[in-house]
Amino acid sequence: MGQEISEFGKVFLFLAVGVIFVVLGFVTSRLIRPHRPYTEKLTTYECGEEPKGSAWVQFNIRFYVVALIFIIFDVEVLFLYPWATIFKQVGGYALAVALVFLGVLTLGLIYEWKKGYINWVVPTPNIPKMPTKKFEKPKSLEKPKVAEPETTA
Amino acid sequence: MHIELNHYLWLSAFMFTVGVIGVLVRRNAIVIFMCVELMLNAVNLSFVAFSHFLSDIQGQMMVFFVMTVAAAEAAVGLAIVISLFRNRQTVNIDEINLLKG
Amino acid sequence: MPNNLPEIIEQVKLSLGAFVPEISLSALFLLVITLDMVLNEKRVVIPMVSLVGFVITGFFTWQQLDMPNQEYFLRMHVVDPFAVFFKFLFLGAGALAVLITMDSEELGEKNVANIGEYYAVLIAMVLGMFLMASASDMLMMFLALELVSISSYILTGYLKHQIKSSEASLKYIIYGAVSSGLMVYGMSLIYGLTGQTNIYEIAKFISANEVDEVTLTLAALLVMGGFGYKIGAVPFHFWSPDVYEGAPTPVTAFLSVGSKAAGFAMLIRFFKVAIPAEPTGELAFDWVNFFALIALVSMLLGNFAAIWQSNVKRMLAYSSIAHAGYLLLGVLVADDLGTQAVMFYLAAYTVMTVGAFYVVILIANKIGSDDVNDYRGLGKRMPLTAAALTVFLVSLTGLPPTVGFIGKYMIFTALLGKGTVFLTLAIIGVLTSAVSLYYYFKIPLNMYLRESEDGAETPMESSAFANALAAFLMILTIGFGLFFTPLANFAKNSVIMLVMN
Repeated sequence: MGQEISEFGKVFLFLAVGVIFVVLGFVTSRLIRPHRPYTEKLTTYECGEEPKGSAWVQFNIRFYVVALIFIIFDVEVLFLYPWATIFKQVGGYALAVALVFLGVLTLGLIYEWKKGYINWVVPTPNIPKMPTKKFEKPKSLEKPKVAEPETTA
Repeated sequence: MHIELNHYLWLSAFMFTVGVIGVLVRRNAIVIFMCVELMLNAVNLSFVAFSHFLSDIQGQMMVFFVMTVAAAEAAVGLAIVISLFRNRQTVNIDEINLLKG
Repeated sequence: MPNNLPEIIEQVKLSLGAFVPEISLSALFLLVITLDMVLNEKRVVIPMVSLVGFVITGFFTWQQLDMPNQEYFLRMHVVDPFAVFFKFLFLGAGALAVLITMDSEELGEKNVANIGEYYAVLIAMVLGMFLMASASDMLMMFLALELVSISSYILTGYLKHQIKSSEASLKYIIYGAVSSGLMVYGMSLIYGLTGQTNIYEIAKFISANEVDEVTLTLAALLVMGGFGYKIGAVPFHFWSPDVYEGAPTPVTAFLSVGSKAAGFAMLIRFFKVAIPAEPTGELAFDWVNFFALIALVSMLLGNFAAIWQSNVKRMLAYSSIAHAGYLLLGVLVADDLGTQAVMFYLAAYTVMTVGAFYVVILIANKIGSDDVNDYRGLGKRMPLTAAALTVFLVSLTGLPPTVGFIGKYMIFTALLGKGTVFLTLAIIGVLTSAVSLYYYFKIPLNMYLRESEDGAETPMESSAFANALAAFLMILTIGFGLFFTPLANFAKNSVIMLVMN
């Protein structure tokens, strides 16, 4: 090949080699390994116990609040980058403008702080109710009451 | 081969179309917001491509602000989804149909 | 526009003098947030502070009437009488929104724990509308539109414990985000075609050079998608009924008035300025015909769908879609008479609609329902309120002697004499107004001529303040209907938009 590979071509080669590497690994292992499934092998693994309940856990809101506050302040910093490139040339006025900008957003931060939205909320643990008596027969095993035989007149 | 302007525009149009179809078809509210972000990023790509080929900085300035607005809108949208979820315990928009007609 | 940095900084410093109303609104916003943090007794102090702030901003806006028409902030922000007229409109709508929120029980102490944020977001929305009316650059239009939209998503979903409010807010944000996405895509195509983002520069470019027609049409249609969503015209109206029904009623009133007026301000500025006539004498993109189609469908759908609604807020939503149609009729007559008619009608629409929604709030405070059938017998129990509602509905229909009649008259006369297509549209407008008479008059019919179901006769009037405000709006409606000349002249003098300098 007399042509040079462009930069995009290099990235494409890198990507292609990565994909081929992984696919080769999967395909080879698929061809070599034995495949004898039975029911117990196909169940979900839960440390040797019987799997119980759904695998999907409820997402907790406190993570979202942190992420939201982070994205807002990240975008604020994003606006500081072009400001920083001309700060030296402009001087005092640029400082005043940046202080006003940061001041407004800091007021927002103080607002969140005072209202308590930054508090890390620990969820209350859900303690299941345990039976208080020493031995309690579950209700399903109680003998059904035998109906009184009707006395027919 | 050289990457011309129309390659970028085709990619941007494709991403935008995928985003619009995603908003129309998907039922999970969070996935719908992801598709909205995809639409806005397609627009960003289009602006940057035009800015490069016209040698004008205005397009890249718009990208700054479109990104900021997309972030703010996503934040507000997810807050609304959470508020709805607390009431209805679902994010499936097929089941959120109290207001009809 | 200067190219080197010191000159740019000089221009920005000089532009601050023209930005004073917006600065005062931003300071008011920060003040309300600080008060919300610091005070405990918020229910009375914060609305009063907001009203005082609006009055001060109104003073600064009034000072802007004498300024020369010019663009500021590197040609992104424009100050001309057109923008000042709309700024007064937004301040009026915002002040009325604050007043009617104070009286609403939906947002009262029992339902909403923290009302300070509501007023802050309301002020931010008014600021966004100010920026929308003064925007002369596509970037500024997008930013201002998003500020107004995001604030309205927050306000719509403000009642967190009511499912209707959250659901309305979700529908609103999904439609709004998709429409904004369409609009920016159109803006990116226009930027790519012309290389400019300032609307005056775009007009210069299009009239001087050959631009690909198909792409320009597509781009302008996409941008129209974003604007049409804001004004609630068909086929971008699907969010209107759900949002109007689900949002707290003061928010509905402010949305239906403020964001519609702001959308029209931006629409008129964009389409009159940015898409000029080509050297051949035709418009570069034939938006007049397209608007005619949208206006026609809006009028028809809005009026006919409102007939079957039993929820008052939903009915008013469909009627506001119809009013968007009437206003578009004034927009597509692209000369001064049409624009003056649109501005007058928007001012009239503010008074009528806020009044109508305010009475709906007062009635809902007492009987707790928004259904038309529950309005039976209210003529006897709440006489002043029922009379006010009747006046507002008469004005919305467009019957004399109210201001609604004058507004519709101005729009329809602006259409006459411009060709058969426009004449047909005017006739259809009059016919659909006649249809609207039917569904508007269902309400006074129920109030006056039907007995309430449980036969209750106890009078339950609202407080004196509420009655005073309703009476004030009623007097404005009839007063401007009889003495409309000052407002009409103000509108006529404000049509002077900044033309290319």
